[in-house]
Amino acid sequence: MSKPLIEISNLTVSTTDDNRTLVNDVSFSIAPGEAVGVVGESGSGKTLTALSLLGLLPRGVHATSGSITYGGKDLLTADRETLRSIRGNEIAMIYQDPMTALNPVMKLGAQLIEVIQSHGGDTSNAMERVLTAFSEVGIPDPKRAYESYPHEFSGGMRQRVMIAMALILSPQLLIADEPTTALDVTIQQQILALVMQERRKRNMSMLWITHDLGVVANLVDRVIVMYAGRIVEVGSVKEVFTNPQHPYTAGLLASLPKASDKNRTRLLSIPGIPPKPWTVGESCAFSPRCSKADQQCRSSLPVLATNTHTDAACFHLMGDNS
Amino acid sequence: MTLSITDVTKRYKIRVTRAQVNALNGVTIDLPAKKTLGIVGESGCGKSTLARMIVGLEQPSSGTVTWNGEPIFDKARNMLSSKHSNIQLVFQDPYSSLNPRQKIGDSIAEVLTVHHLVEKDAVQARIAELLTEVGISPELAHRYPHQLSGGQRQRVSIARALASQPDLLVLDEPVSALDVSVRAEVMNLLIDLRERLGLTYIFISHDLSMIRHISDQIAVMYLGKIVESGPWDSVLENPQHPYTKALIAAMPDHTEVGNNAYEAPLKGEVPDPASMPTGCAFHLRCPIAVPSCSTNAQTLREIEPNHQIACQEVK
Repeated sequence: MSKPLIEISNLTVSTTDDNRTLVNDVSFSIAPGEAVGVVGESGSGKTLTALSLLGLLPRGVHATSGSITYGGKDLLTADRETLRSIRGNEIAMIYQDPMTALNPVMKLGAQLIEVIQSHGGDTSNAMERVLTAFSEVGIPDPKRAYESYPHEFSGGMRQRVMIAMALILSPQLLIADEPTTALDVTIQQQILALVMQERRKRNMSMLWITHDLGVVANLVDRVIVMYAGRIVEVGSVKEVFTNPQHPYTAGLLASLPKASDKNRTRLLSIPGIPPKPWTVGESCAFSPRCSKADQQCRSSLPVLATNTHTDAACFHLMGDNS
Repeated sequence: MTLSITDVTKRYKIRVTRAQVNALNGVTIDLPAKKTLGIVGESGCGKSTLARMIVGLEQPSSGTVTWNGEPIFDKARNMLSSKHSNIQLVFQDPYSSLNPRQKIGDSIAEVLTVHHLVEKDAVQARIAELLTEVGISPELAHRYPHQLSGGQRQRVSIARALASQPDLLVLDEPVSALDVSVRAEVMNLLIDLRERLGLTYIFISHDLSMIRHISDQIAVMYLGKIVESGPWDSVLENPQHPYTKALIAAMPDHTEVGNNAYEAPLKGEVPDPASMPTGCAFHLRCPIAVPSCSTNAQTLREIEPNHQIACQEVK
């Protein structure tokens, strides 16, 4: 495998006041041009992991250990100037709600110009670049969009504007935090098609965060499954979805209705709820909900290890189920 | 017992622009008791307006909605004086439908006492019974909503809806706000309750996979109209309307892995209901539209037993 574009090693994120661990010892890397999906439920640490990559962790939460290596620098210890030059230029992010990224009282054209200016880009042909960026993301009338405010656009169109804004400086890595969750399914499909097309055209790496297994199934090359702040399984999208080895991944997949199931068999549910990451200690966080759990699972922490299909952190792999 | 919705329209006036929005446009549904109707559609299709109308929170601008032959809206106006309400609504987000400062037992007790459903000394026993019914230990009756998980809160909302022993439950996106691993158990609970209590469901969702899992009949809505309806398997396995086909194609499917092909099945967006397209409301996005679609309004017609579509181009 080629040299990774970005490498996250042993990242741990905790709350500042009471030192509660929210993301625990997370390591993974993204190769140039590779798309990686992070799947997890609320509280699994997927969003905090993504925000760490940009030095954008919210107040009250900080990375307590680990490193994020990008272009020879550690982003966790980099100064503000370095981070600022990397954000937008090298790593860009799109969010679930475009209104968190767009200024409601500023015309869209001006907002994109501002992005170019503030990241030291060439501003001589800035307007042209913005209009091209708008048409690339499928905004029907770029000139009109340039003079419009965010509220004049629908949710899907705002999402396109945010994507144009994220791509305008040609980043190496696009981080997407559930950008299609709030959209209607036919609009979601349009946005996914657009992202796919731009990613191929630019050979851009991508980190796609979602709770929706169906969305990443056809979008990414590799999937990371997070549970209670830790990675529990990683593998190629094909292996994770067809031969999940961690009982949590297998349980999640089994809990979804299948379009091919003519008899509509009862859904398999996972009893209980995910624990708070900081309460887990030296045990498998999934053990209280797991049918395979035994004494070992409750008293020691399984580490991520390579098996024939994926890498999974479990003492009792699912084995071949096909 | 049947739910009959006959040629219902709902118009709203936007105060500032005086524009008229047709939220529902000639909707007709007949649902026999103990069956589940799944209503699927995107934002602005009128599915939530229809839900509110079925529970009597909205009055139709024209047409009728009846349960057992009795108009629902009139009935709702007298709801406080009637002993029970036969129809109840369960919302998407249990966090906003439960009072955060009220213990869950008390929020159920409120329903029981306001409607005088049980004698005072039987209230606690009935609360325990209702919580058990939805799989929650009665010991949790003293908890506040924030002390429960999302799945438990949704179970409490269901228990609260069941307090008046309804015949019909309108479920408006009941699992959409829940984490993936708890959706299955709430779906299983709904199916169990339906069997055990003989309930009739209107199950509203944008998620076709959940609709497919629970429905006997399915109605696909677009901009205030039903464009296709019928038994669940004919609608989903033999879809005829181009919008239904597009919705099915747009459903993210976790069983089809790694083909890395996302094709947008539909161009454009749902038009603003305040400036509704003429003719068939779908013609602007429709892959098979012909010029006459922009002038001919479409009505439902039967293409196989009980399976109806509103499209002139499908032969």
